[in-house]
Amino acid sequence: MESLVRFLNNMDKKIKNGPFKIFSPMYGALNTMLFTPGHGTTTGPHIRDSIDMKRFMGIVIFALIPSILVGSYNVGLQAGVEGLFAAFMFGFLKLLPIIVVTYAVGLGWEMIFGHINGHDIHEGFLVTGILLPLTLPPTIPLWQVAVAVSFGTVIGKEVFGGTGMNLLNPALTARAFLFFTYPGDISGDSVWVAVDGFTGATPLAAAASASGSAVEAMNAAGFTLNKMFFGFVPGSIGETSSIAILIGAALLLITGVASWRIMLATTLGAYGMALLVQFFGGDVVGGIRTLPAHYHLVMGGFLFGTVFMATDPVSAAGTDFGKWIYGFLIGFMVILIRTFNPAYPEGMMLAILLGNVFSPLIDHFVIQANIKRRLNYGK
Amino acid sequence: MGVFNLKKGHNIHLQGAAERHVDKAHKTSAVAVQPIDFRGLRPGVKVEPGDKVKRGSLIFVDKRRPNIVFRSPSAGTVREIIRGERRVIQRVIIETTADSAESFKAYSRDEISKFSTEKAKEVLLNSGLWPALRQRPFNKIAEQDKSPKSIFISAVDSAPLQAESDFILAGREKDFQLGIDLLAKLTDGKINLSVSASTKEFFVNTEGVELHEFSGPHPAGNVGVQIHHIDRIVAGNIVWHISPRHVAQIGSFLKKGEYPGAKTYALTGSELTNNLYIAGTEGALVSDLVSETLSAQTQRVISGNVLTGKQSRPNGFVGFYDDMITVIPELSGRRFFGWLQLGLSANSFWPMFLSKLTPSKKLAPTTDMNGEERAFVSTGEYEKVVPMDILPVHLCKAILVEDVELMEKLGIYEVAPEDFALCSYICPSKIEFGDIIEHGIITMEKEG
Repeated sequence: MESLVRFLNNMDKKIKNGPFKIFSPMYGALNTMLFTPGHGTTTGPHIRDSIDMKRFMGIVIFALIPSILVGSYNVGLQAGVEGLFAAFMFGFLKLLPIIVVTYAVGLGWEMIFGHINGHDIHEGFLVTGILLPLTLPPTIPLWQVAVAVSFGTVIGKEVFGGTGMNLLNPALTARAFLFFTYPGDISGDSVWVAVDGFTGATPLAAAASASGSAVEAMNAAGFTLNKMFFGFVPGSIGETSSIAILIGAALLLITGVASWRIMLATTLGAYGMALLVQFFGGDVVGGIRTLPAHYHLVMGGFLFGTVFMATDPVSAAGTDFGKWIYGFLIGFMVILIRTFNPAYPEGMMLAILLGNVFSPLIDHFVIQANIKRRLNYGK
Repeated sequence: MGVFNLKKGHNIHLQGAAERHVDKAHKTSAVAVQPIDFRGLRPGVKVEPGDKVKRGSLIFVDKRRPNIVFRSPSAGTVREIIRGERRVIQRVIIETTADSAESFKAYSRDEISKFSTEKAKEVLLNSGLWPALRQRPFNKIAEQDKSPKSIFISAVDSAPLQAESDFILAGREKDFQLGIDLLAKLTDGKINLSVSASTKEFFVNTEGVELHEFSGPHPAGNVGVQIHHIDRIVAGNIVWHISPRHVAQIGSFLKKGEYPGAKTYALTGSELTNNLYIAGTEGALVSDLVSETLSAQTQRVISGNVLTGKQSRPNGFVGFYDDMITVIPELSGRRFFGWLQLGLSANSFWPMFLSKLTPSKKLAPTTDMNGEERAFVSTGEYEKVVPMDILPVHLCKAILVEDVELMEKLGIYEVAPEDFALCSYICPSKIEFGDIIEHGIITMEKEG
């Protein structure tokens, strides 16, 4: 072990000063992944918490494992592959190339910017690199993934100054880019099943196109609440299984990585708004507005977005009270878009991006309130 | 009596708390009077190497405010004046000899009760104990031409392994009362004395103070937190604060008319085998107090507690404001896949390690940073360890962009780096909140 550490330390010096300097951010990341950086404190506090960004982001990746497993299986299931393992392998082999392309292209950009800015590759990308593939349909062309990752990393993050400075969630920025640039490959009903020529609408699309009761239309298409909860319906790879996402959510909440305020507020916001829509619009118009509120929570990308995307600490509101407002706003917007916008059956992505855009403003008002309390003290 | 139950904060459970038993220091070979103990001080040294000094002799003065004087805690011979970068004087080392003391006028309670504010200031300035009084805003030695809104004393010992104030003051009730009597002359406002359930008994009969009881995790014992809850600083306010031990030292000076050089320290930390209290001298040499032989390579010697103490060395000296020494293991190399550890004995605020299941288990962490600096990922956790109506991340961001107006609005006048030590401790991005706050305070001072 000691000789390995010595070797790594030597390599570190060689790479930093040698012709392969450009790889130094990548090497630094690998080096500190294998062994802790080994830096001591120089000022007080003389001891530090055992947590670091690697552990922090590592927990998010662990939390995504159930979604990866169930999502892969479901891709196989939707394509008609029989057998648990065969279906899983079929789906996993669809997902893996997407993840590989995302990491390869994204890390390439991270390396270039790390080199320019003189820092190692930051752990945030490890999460972005898994999140994005899970929000895509299994049939997405890999070159589009590469273009989207480039956009998400460079425009969504690096132009703002890198991890921690970005306004928008980079994974969602990449997805939004695909959504508006190549709509044919990420929406509609021909993209969700990984078999050529086979079409299958998502439950949300089925509900949106229903002429009468949305629940009946969905049941007719085979989308029962149970199936949607377990995730055996067409949709983006990681978003379909509510149970898998909830297991991940439990891990995030127990470890304190993600904000319970945001998760709760988003859910309450969406549920409340969906109740209102059903109450006022349900009987009159038909279609998705007849959908009972709890259906919205298990359909589409709502849960995945709530648990993994809205809670991104960088792009979410930073103040405790701000998180409530931010969550409610996202929940409200997602149902608004789902039920009142005929063009997009799904609204989660846009709702979160909108929440991201508003979060500095929300924080601003919370800070102003703090200032006001301070000014009023003693008066 | 105000009662404050604070919920926010975090107690770090460490091995090596001092047992309530006092030993005598095994020797007293040298002491130091250290200008670096005092924030922003420019010393004018009044002695030269070879000079003989008594306990209470003048060693140096504050160049900007020459009536603030610093006296020797022990009789001896000036051995060396240590200078650091740009020839800044760091410490004056005195080799101790047989005790002899400068004599000052002693005062009774009656005499003190007739003091005017001017007289009280004059006596305290001349005693060499004025520097024990510190001021907020700006966390520095109190300005003698100002009149504070009130004076705060914290006898709540919440920092990791902190010396227990009721124990180090045991038997000195009269000194403490005399000190309070003098302090009462310095302000038109109140003297706020905060105690905890465990220190209450010692302080409860003190006259002339407003007693407050604080409970809750660290930093409930920080005077800044107490000021925030008792009588908050708003623009234009000045408050002073002083430690209970220094109040007793003032009392002792008044009673005897001699500079009180004796000081009891807590010897704490997992690297010391004898964790107890030791009766030594102010500015004592660490190796005079600690019976085992320490190594600067493998052990971190801290003057003060692990959160806010200053790094010292086995042959270093204890700071003027510190009444404890903490010795912990130095970082030992790089750990294999450290970020994946189960963490049975990982010290952490976060529920991400198995050690969270055994919350009362006492740990012995090293000086490992446990990571590298990263960008702010504001998670809302910092607020959980700052029991004040202050937004730590936003205050720090205002400081980083040097937005003076916003810093003021977000509460820079109320804080000192020590109030944010836990933020640095829990930070996954390893950001030095203390340094940022210090930078903010310096910026505000320059702005006037």
